[in-house]
Amino acid sequence: MPLLRRLWRPAERAPQSVPEALRRAEQSRREGRYTEASALVARVLELDRDNLHAHLLAAYLHVARRATAPAKAEFRWVLGHDANHARALIGLARVALEESDTRACHELLRRALRFYPDFPEAAALLEALRASESAPPTRTATPAPRVDRLRLPGTGRALIVGRSDGTLLAAQPASEDAREVSEALTRVVRLAGATLQRCALGRVHRAIIDDGGDAVFVRTDGDLIVSLTLPRTTDPTQGLLDVNRLWSATLHELGVAAASNPATPVNTPAVDPTRRVS
Amino acid sequence: MSGPRLKLALEHDSATRGRHVRDIVTELKRLHWVRGAMLVAPDGFVIAAELPPTVTVDSVAALAATLGRELETSAARLGRPSFSTAMFSADDGTMFLAGSRIGYLVILADQQVNVQAIRGALGDAVALIEAAWGPGEVRPS
Repeated sequence: MPLLRRLWRPAERAPQSVPEALRRAEQSRREGRYTEASALVARVLELDRDNLHAHLLAAYLHVARRATAPAKAEFRWVLGHDANHARALIGLARVALEESDTRACHELLRRALRFYPDFPEAAALLEALRASESAPPTRTATPAPRVDRLRLPGTGRALIVGRSDGTLLAAQPASEDAREVSEALTRVVRLAGATLQRCALGRVHRAIIDDGGDAVFVRTDGDLIVSLTLPRTTDPTQGLLDVNRLWSATLHELGVAAASNPATPVNTPAVDPTRRVS
Repeated sequence: MSGPRLKLALEHDSATRGRHVRDIVTELKRLHWVRGAMLVAPDGFVIAAELPPTVTVDSVAALAATLGRELETSAARLGRPSFSTAMFSADDGTMFLAGSRIGYLVILADQQVNVQAIRGALGDAVALIEAAWGPGEVRPS
């Protein structure tokens, strides 16, 4: 914008009416201007404290700003005034999922779909939830692979081997939070799998999750999940080759462990013959 | 960083941010082997999207936002830094996700896509968003 026009532009006046403030709040939200949108919603609630649209918008803005507790309170306020409000139900369902309360999430999504059967977001989330619930049952008898025989690459920081039901099979080095990491990886792989399926891209096989310091390279067949943590600077192709090697070694070790304990047969996943490194 | 850089320069005038955010998504869509891109808010609201017509935008946005939040909350629970980019490869394509202060950038691409180039382009896009939205908006937890 030219400097003179910018200087001469009158300062934006505060909205005088509820519809105007709501319209401007929606506009700001559409542009990712959450602070401005929140100020406008606050203005609406000054003028009309029981405005349902403003409370719903406030809930969305709290979620957008990653503030779960106030978002939950606002969604509940909306449901207190309209028990079958589909948007509030799905909003609260997503918060429940974030808090790992899958039962509450399931129930809220079912409620939303009971009243609004053509609700694509709710249907997609419920489908993802059902897919994770139908994950193979925990194989309590699954022998742990001998991770000490799995050789990490020189720069390797951690190896986690788990099942898609969250069971931790092995970790190297053994750490206190290995089980939590395994469960978190399971949830991420399931959700990513559901998203990829929704895009008609097929089943998830590999992942790279980068947190700025480390990169976690993952290989999965939908049942077994092998993850290898390497420095972020690792070339992606090299990291995927390293995790592929550990994947094959894990399958071998699982086979050896099962053979040495024939009373507990293990349905060892088939080795992917393609071995692509994408 | 290898690969193409996003050819964008953002004005920091809030009135033009809506257009600029669409430009960021358009530029990502133009990258080699990329089928589509979108920016979705953490609540699942679609800020901008250029996805193939076969993709149901609202459903994918809801799932992508949930996935983004799961990556953030898992990291927070484990006391680790939040994810910057994530890539998920499937039989028929690859999905990338990057976190920013206003939401998640999502890219759908062919399987043969250059992973490093896309990660670099996502890093550039996030930097543009950070510069334009400034400290007024919260950063991902």
